[in-house]
Amino acid sequence: MLRHLLQRGLDLLIVLFGISVIVFLMIRLIPGDAVAIMLGANTEVTPERIAAMRGSLGLDRPLLEQYWVWLSRAVQGDFGTSIWTGRPVMQEIAAQIWPTLQLTLFSLVLGAGLAIPVGCLMAHWRGGRADLVLRVGAIAGLTIPSFWLGIVMLITVATLAPSFASLGYVPFSEDPLGNLQRLLLPAIALALPILANLSRLVRTAMLDALGQDYIRTARAKGLGERAVLYRHALRNALIPFVTSVGIMTGYLLGGAIVVEQVFSIPGLGRLILGAIAERNYPLIQATILVVTVGFVLVNALVDFAYALIDPRLRTAS
Amino acid sequence: MLRIVKQGPGLRRALRCGVAAATFALLAGAASAQTLEVAVEASPAGLDPHIVTAFASSQIVLGPIYEGLTALDKDLNIIPGLAQSWTASADGKTVTFKLRSGVTFHDGKPMEAEDVASSLRRVLSKDVGSPLASRLSAMESATAVDATTLELKLKEPSAPLLASLTGIAIVPRGLEGNKDALQRAPMGTGPFKFEEWQPNGFIRLAKHAGYWNTAEVKLAGVKFNFVPEAATRQVGIGNGQFALLPHVDAATALQLKGKPNIAMQETTELAYTLIGMNTSKPPFDNVKVREALNYALNRKEIIDAALFGSGAPAAPLPAVLKDWAVDVKDLPCYTYDPAKAQALLKEAGVATPVTVSMTVLPRQDIRDIAQVVQQQLGKAGFKVELKNPELGQFVQDWRNSNFDLFASTNAGSIEPDDYFYRAFRTGGSTNVFKYSNPELDTLLDKGRATLDKPARQAAYRDAQKILGCTGPAAHIAYPTLFSAVRSNLQGYDIYANRSLVSLGRASLR
Repeated sequence: MLRHLLQRGLDLLIVLFGISVIVFLMIRLIPGDAVAIMLGANTEVTPERIAAMRGSLGLDRPLLEQYWVWLSRAVQGDFGTSIWTGRPVMQEIAAQIWPTLQLTLFSLVLGAGLAIPVGCLMAHWRGGRADLVLRVGAIAGLTIPSFWLGIVMLITVATLAPSFASLGYVPFSEDPLGNLQRLLLPAIALALPILANLSRLVRTAMLDALGQDYIRTARAKGLGERAVLYRHALRNALIPFVTSVGIMTGYLLGGAIVVEQVFSIPGLGRLILGAIAERNYPLIQATILVVTVGFVLVNALVDFAYALIDPRLRTAS
Repeated sequence: MLRIVKQGPGLRRALRCGVAAATFALLAGAASAQTLEVAVEASPAGLDPHIVTAFASSQIVLGPIYEGLTALDKDLNIIPGLAQSWTASADGKTVTFKLRSGVTFHDGKPMEAEDVASSLRRVLSKDVGSPLASRLSAMESATAVDATTLELKLKEPSAPLLASLTGIAIVPRGLEGNKDALQRAPMGTGPFKFEEWQPNGFIRLAKHAGYWNTAEVKLAGVKFNFVPEAATRQVGIGNGQFALLPHVDAATALQLKGKPNIAMQETTELAYTLIGMNTSKPPFDNVKVREALNYALNRKEIIDAALFGSGAPAAPLPAVLKDWAVDVKDLPCYTYDPAKAQALLKEAGVATPVTVSMTVLPRQDIRDIAQVVQQQLGKAGFKVELKNPELGQFVQDWRNSNFDLFASTNAGSIEPDDYFYRAFRTGGSTNVFKYSNPELDTLLDKGRATLDKPARQAAYRDAQKILGCTGPAAHIAYPTLFSAVRSNLQGYDIYANRSLVSLGRASLR
């Protein structure tokens, strides 16, 4: 178990190092002079201003030195200041990470939480009419993009119940009810594709498990159908499910960008979009790093969860 | 209803909770009814009025938070702002401003001539690197004579000065070398003072109790909500969450027109769309080819196809600047005539079809315009290949004059000098066309340094005649600007320069 964790930790460090190099090089790899482009939309830029900004970004020093300075600050959580507002980048991220985390968690709970019973029911009713309807629904859920779903839901709710269609975001601590009300629609928009994907997965895994010998044994022992389904079959079906939940988290962070845009939620997705639009490189670098690190950590957690679910994996490594 | 109640105490309790919450929300809404909820497209990148020129920032800071020495009325006439009056010396090189008394900054400190002098110096300071510096290029020194008198010494007489001053915010003294303080915490003399900024969320302003014209300010505050999605803004004004959408695109405006409780205001914008030509290389170094391009364009058709019919064909100056603009009817080559265009190309001695590329600004309306232009030019003997780079690349190519043609948009102003001098004078700071015409240069120099209005008007009339047909830019359209206003908001006026200064007079019923 300990060796397993150490091995994963080492992998993690290598991945993080790779990401840091890519994120660092980003500002130098784009074609043209990054600083001139950054100031670009403004037609009255003076050479002095370009020189000053280049100095403040440290772009006038050798590449390796720049990377070392950047990295040593980054590991201490200092990603410099946002070009336009002058605020520390980490402060801007800290201010906007909560709506995204809450939205991600909310939709994950909704989507993955419902996927288990729905998938089990589909497996239970396999081949029946209900199974068919749910499967068609799942395919629809997979193909409809969440931002489109978001806009349609928003317009529908605004027409049917105008007072319910509040936009924006209020922190949970300020107004719990308003917070949940505002996050409900975007969370549903994000959760539907997850529900569709995961319920199909649970169905297949359950059917697979139900065909195994140990299930026949369990039934032969005279166990009730419910116990067979949940205690024996589901436990084994959960492994691919947990893997997918990990991948879904990455998907959610991406989907959140557009859904936050539609529902005007001040989250990480809007921060990234805004930073790209205004070419705020320190902010782009830091947000991308935070998101990737988050994704990598979630995957590490998934690996850890395998070991918990399936004791065989603990000894195998 | 009865059926729902029968379903059990849990649901009934939930229902009661919901009613209580709704009542509470209504009460809370009533208590803050005097704060105006506005939805704007983009979050500002910073709030220092001397550093940020992005529209997302300037609409919030200039007018609501900051004021200049001079101001504009609804019809774009220059009126007194923080300066009550001004006089110029006989040689035009000294301008003396008499300041309004009783003006205070949002922190309660009085605004004095020293603050004004310091603000002007700050714009010119190298440490701050303000993009507005070129507007004060004629300034030599600014001196506070006493608390309410400011003396401005100029290197040469400057006709555009008063117009330039409308856009230069007065900030507290002593910030000449500081480019961070005002980005986060603006401090002006305007009707509203800064309260809170949640990036990507909102900016909240509260009424400035010590405002010099406080009787006029009726709102308790203004909250700018940043809502990037057009459909979402539309939902928000539909259900009353927002009382004002200051800028609505033509397509959305068509949908909102006639909706209950929503009134639309419109005006013609000062910024224009254009096709720029590179005059440093063939074929557009040839004046006849540039003329041919103008004959090949049907501006009315472009506006109908790409701008939903919302806009006016563009002469070099917008018609709303009545004192300066030449009517499009007086520009002969604005008549759509593909045959004439082909004849001119033949005269120019270029082989047809003339193959050129057009670099397009990545913005939907500009892309649409470029496609119509491509097809129109095709009929007149040009073969246009469209290039769609991302913004950074576009700006880079634009700045380095790396294009045959480009399709883009240019900012507007109330001052002819702003339209022409930088863009079209030989060596001008944004003359990416590489255009040089000594005759035009003389006219533009004269327009800048002559204080006599009729003489200035004559100079700019001649300049427009040159630019309109053989210049390096084919002006396409001045788009229509729309605002959507809930019926409970009164006193809001749309401004052609997109200023939100009228919020200082608006009220909510």
